[in-house]
Amino acid sequence: MCHEKERPGPESETHLRPAVFEQLRLAMNSDPSGFLELYRDYLAEAWLSVQALRVSIQQRDAEAVRAKAHYLKSSSMVLGAAHVAQEAAILEEAAAGGRFDEAAARLNQAVLRLKQVTARLVEELGREVDPAGITAA
Amino acid sequence: MTANPIRVVIADDHPVVRVGLRNMLQVDPLIQVVGEARDGVEALEMCRALQPDILLLDLAMPNVAGMDALRELTGGGLSTRTIVLTGLIEKRQVLEALQLGARGVVLKDAVVEHLTACIRAVMQGQYWLDGHPVQNLVQVLRDLAAQTAPPPRKTFGLTARELEVVNLITEGCTNKDIAKTFGISEETVKRHLTNIFNKLGVGNRLELALFALNHNLMPENSSQ
Repeated sequence: MCHEKERPGPESETHLRPAVFEQLRLAMNSDPSGFLELYRDYLAEAWLSVQALRVSIQQRDAEAVRAKAHYLKSSSMVLGAAHVAQEAAILEEAAAGGRFDEAAARLNQAVLRLKQVTARLVEELGREVDPAGITAA
Repeated sequence: MTANPIRVVIADDHPVVRVGLRNMLQVDPLIQVVGEARDGVEALEMCRALQPDILLLDLAMPNVAGMDALRELTGGGLSTRTIVLTGLIEKRQVLEALQLGARGVVLKDAVVEHLTACIRAVMQGQYWLDGHPVQNLVQVLRDLAAQTAPPPRKTFGLTARELEVVNLITEGCTNKDIAKTFGISEETVKRHLTNIFNKLGVGNRLELALFALNHNLMPENSSQ
């Protein structure tokens, strides 16, 4: 008999949408290391985007902020990191409007959300999925 | 019995997005991803070379942007049907994409729920918007056009003739020029100007010209 995983509550569901995560897991059933790599790549690029966003916000470079935020939003949407995607979308809008203080605040929120997604992925896939060692601390 | 698979090209500049989409689509045995493009140029090349049934097109791509790629595809006589993938449903963009020949629009965060259904609907000749097949495209286009139309121009209560006078004032015409243009007396022009000054709360021709430029106060059919 297999043990059914405890169903995540609504809050954690939006950290990482189960519908997306499970469909991808099913699709990549024959390639579990590819599945791990996909989410590892996502996290690695997301954390790099966060670093680049900090610099671009400091430099008040609206186009760079908008482009990086768009990237973060896009990959987060497709891989089911709904909260990160939401924060990135607002960040993108703030950059387009030249509202850098709001962008900085949103980036902090996005970082928080990204930490939650990282923690969730570590629960599901193990520490290997966390390229930045966020959850090691 | 196995039907021919629906051949799909994915065009998105983010590798993680392409891998995610490819794997999600692979779950459906009737869909086969035959190519992945990193920008608009590659998307066009792949569509010409591979002639896929469906192109999944991100609008925000480097080199040739998605909308320009769509324009080229539509003009290129290819039978590939394009589905736009977007992070935000912006009505103006949706209208433009449909006018350029897109058959469907899917939000990136609704890929799991809608993408394969959208692909199947589009292959059956339908259009897809807001998570559903479109029943009446003409009505949808009308609605979108109405929702994205610019707000009615403010005319500040000026009549059509007064707006024409304002236009000539901004071009630097004298009262005599204006009178000649409209075949009216200079007295009538002065009367028009007085009415215009009163309605707009300006005191002279220079203020009027500045007001008109700042408020885009030109006749509807003015040819710049």
